[in-house]
Amino acid sequence: MNILVALQIGLREIAAHKFRSFLSMLGIVLGVSSLISTLALTTGIERGTRAFMQQVGGLEYVGVVSKEISNAKFDFWNLSPGRTLRDAMAIRGSAPLVSHVSPELAFGAVVSAQAHSDRKQIRGVFPDHFVVARHELKAGRFLTDLDVDRALHSVVVGDEIVTLLWPGMNADDIVGRQLRINDRPFEVVGVLPKYERDEDRRRRESGKPVSNSRMSRRWDAFRQKNESILIPFSTMFYEFRAGAFPLDSMESVRLDGLTVRIGDLDKFRPALEQVRSALEITHRGVDDFDLDTREEWFDRMESSIRATKLSGGLIATISLVVGGIGIMNIMLASISERVREIGIRLAVGAKGRDIFVQIIVESVTIAFIGGLLGVIAAIGLIEILKLLAPTENIPIMTVGGIVFSVGFAILAGFFSGIYPALRASRLNPISALRYE
Amino acid sequence: MSLIHLEVVSKFYRVGDQEIRALDSVDLRIEEGEFVAIIGPSGSGKSTLMHLLGCLDAPTSGRMEICGNDLSQASQNRLAGVRNREIGFVFQAFNLLPKLDVVHNVELPLVYSGLPASERRARAEKAARDVGLGDRLANRPVQLSGGQCQRVAIARALVNNPRIVFADEPTGNLDSATGEMILQMFKDLNAGGKTIVLVTHDPDIARISRRVIEIRDGKIRREYAP
Repeated sequence: MNILVALQIGLREIAAHKFRSFLSMLGIVLGVSSLISTLALTTGIERGTRAFMQQVGGLEYVGVVSKEISNAKFDFWNLSPGRTLRDAMAIRGSAPLVSHVSPELAFGAVVSAQAHSDRKQIRGVFPDHFVVARHELKAGRFLTDLDVDRALHSVVVGDEIVTLLWPGMNADDIVGRQLRINDRPFEVVGVLPKYERDEDRRRRESGKPVSNSRMSRRWDAFRQKNESILIPFSTMFYEFRAGAFPLDSMESVRLDGLTVRIGDLDKFRPALEQVRSALEITHRGVDDFDLDTREEWFDRMESSIRATKLSGGLIATISLVVGGIGIMNIMLASISERVREIGIRLAVGAKGRDIFVQIIVESVTIAFIGGLLGVIAAIGLIEILKLLAPTENIPIMTVGGIVFSVGFAILAGFFSGIYPALRASRLNPISALRYE
Repeated sequence: MSLIHLEVVSKFYRVGDQEIRALDSVDLRIEEGEFVAIIGPSGSGKSTLMHLLGCLDAPTSGRMEICGNDLSQASQNRLAGVRNREIGFVFQAFNLLPKLDVVHNVELPLVYSGLPASERRARAEKAARDVGLGDRLANRPVQLSGGQCQRVAIARALVNNPRIVFADEPTGNLDSATGEMILQMFKDLNAGGKTIVLVTHDPDIARISRRVIEIRDGKIRREYAP
């Protein structure tokens, strides 16, 4: 007997007992829909997290940070000049695996334009900063080498600053305007876009109120980027820092930040080594620096995604197994109802194998139809989820997730069909024929 | 060579501690083209004999050869194959599948012999027409009279063109006029060369055959020509 005939018989059997078949499918429907929704939710979280990781600079972003000197080298502390522009030059010169180097100075100052003014953090940077920090541009331009070489009074501002100083104004109209930092005039050359999480963007676009990031207690990685006031490194030094320590030159002033971008992630470790050996020379062997990578942080995020996936998957798996048991139950009831039919089929020459295949096909068909209904239910469920609880990340249904879930349901149908099919195929034709 | 050949065939059943000798050292030969009636009261062992001859069961001991197949120790699978190719059954209770229409009931044995669907259908329709049910092909058993049901069963028994047709009390559920008609069909089949084995408790019905085998207490008590 071929599978097609078995399928025909199975479908007829399912159609003949619609309600019962539906009940037996219910477990599978719930299992598949919860599995698909879980997968969609975690896929959404995963995408959101990855996008976030990209926004904050990605894995390529490595910070050079100060560190307590170890006891063994404590006596030599004054040999090291600390983090300076020389470090940046050394990395540029002898760490070819590093694509960008961004040293920076920071300074708190009063920023004012028109009638508004506020105390803000100003940062002096090189053009590389815009690459390392993954800035985008809404209007105007980034700072250039020319700005740094000539110590021009150019400034690039973030979205929060625009809102503060020129509320309601168009970004394009702000380029070219004047801004005063501690009463020195600067010309706005570039405006950065509003950096925000996907969730906030969706809310804003759908017209819902966006939670104010400063009010919410949640840490916002984009706040610093949105409050950027970026001026050339040299301008920063000459205007605001040189006076404090007259002996310092621009090369020897201690940096407030030093970050680099690794060109090729496949060569992450060697790149770190290059940075480390370059810095060991400029710091004269004093271990007062450390490399701060995001590996651990990202690893933690990844492992929490994995944990979410696993626990959701486990719950869905359990419900699929329960669904399989439901099918087994119904199949057992169905065959004890059909003993006589099986007897007749055996009498006209069906082999045990034929009966086995028929029951398995029937059970798999029930599971498959249940799986398809589960897909439909999952689509509805996800829509409801989106409406009721707008989470941080939109659930994303993938074809892979659907195929996996339905495949799993079919497998559950197959395994739960085995026992009833074995029982049916071992019926004795004579007693089956006599069965009333 | 005989179509059916039994040599000292016995069939025992075990019910609890008791051993029941349903069939005790039976020797029997049936040749191609015969019309044999097996008679005996209930409990005599005639059903057991029919189950063995019909390849529904294998004997406990002895040699059993049917249509050239030695089935003395055959497995259920092997028996199923022989059943499918060589044997047609007609039962007292018709044993049709209520969910299937006439054509699908008739084609059932062909499903298990692996014929393609179009050929199955053609042969099933022809078999149904041959028993006079050409206008009932799409009806289900509940829509048919008893006589029509039994004719569907006969069509099903013949559709695989088997060498032997077994009929187990084929008129038991029919009124006498319809019963006569069904018996006539078996007679005609036999006239056409088909081997028929009729199992009944009624000596009157057995009279239409040409050889009567009487079973009593698991043994062949006598044989006669009616």
